[in-house]
Amino acid sequence: MVVWAALVAGIVAVFFAGVMLLHRSLYVSAVSLLVVLLQTAALFLLCGSPLLGLLQVMIYAGAVMVLVVVTVMAAGEEGERFADFSFPRPLAWAGVIAAVLEIALVLSHGTAPAAVPVDPGLQAKLGSVLFQPYALATEAVTLLMFLAALAIAPDREAA
Amino acid sequence: MNLTAVVWATTGALFSLGLAIVIFRRQLLAMLLGLELMLAAVNVSLVHHAGLFDDAEALAVVALVIAVAAAEAVVGLSLILRMRRGGRGADAALLTELQG
Repeated sequence: MVVWAALVAGIVAVFFAGVMLLHRSLYVSAVSLLVVLLQTAALFLLCGSPLLGLLQVMIYAGAVMVLVVVTVMAAGEEGERFADFSFPRPLAWAGVIAAVLEIALVLSHGTAPAAVPVDPGLQAKLGSVLFQPYALATEAVTLLMFLAALAIAPDREAA
Repeated sequence: MNLTAVVWATTGALFSLGLAIVIFRRQLLAMLLGLELMLAAVNVSLVHHAGLFDDAEALAVVALVIAVAAAEAVVGLSLILRMRRGGRGADAALLTELQG
């Protein structure tokens, strides 16, 4: 059943990625990417990596998508800024039905949702790997995120 | 039904669609969304194989890729907004020359 849930998540992710490619509206593309990212987070969970699934939801589907939607709003033409902010109802229903189906398939399994037998200590090893052999890379990425935060600060010339 | 087959099919389809978005859509924001889609696709297969082979280093790489993708999105979006406010539009076809 968990593999079927993964299959549903994959199909829904690919379908909404197709919507991203074919739909003209940037807002619909952004919300479709949000659905894709949520489905990939579900795949992370089903592959036995709940911590990264949570990170995916918090960082990608949360913070980054808010930035994208705000940018779509701010980059629109004057006068029609909020005109094209509607999501097609059939697509919204497809997303909701897929989420309900995945939850039903996972709950019907009755135990922790992992489709493959994963070592329980693997998530604990992640922390030790990040802060021992990959400590320099972790510091570099932290610095990169700090510089990215500086990039969005308005400068005096623009103000 | 094999989970590895599902994961590889999903990864391949998502990566191909992301690449198609970058190639065929001309709006800069849509191209950035395509890049994010490709990164998410790669992460799916990395996480699956980390679970298969009990490889914590692959999970660490996924965590780093998520952080780098977030930083890249912030910088890309701020550049797009700056170009839009500078009157240069958000269409990739309009950007034909660099400006210091």
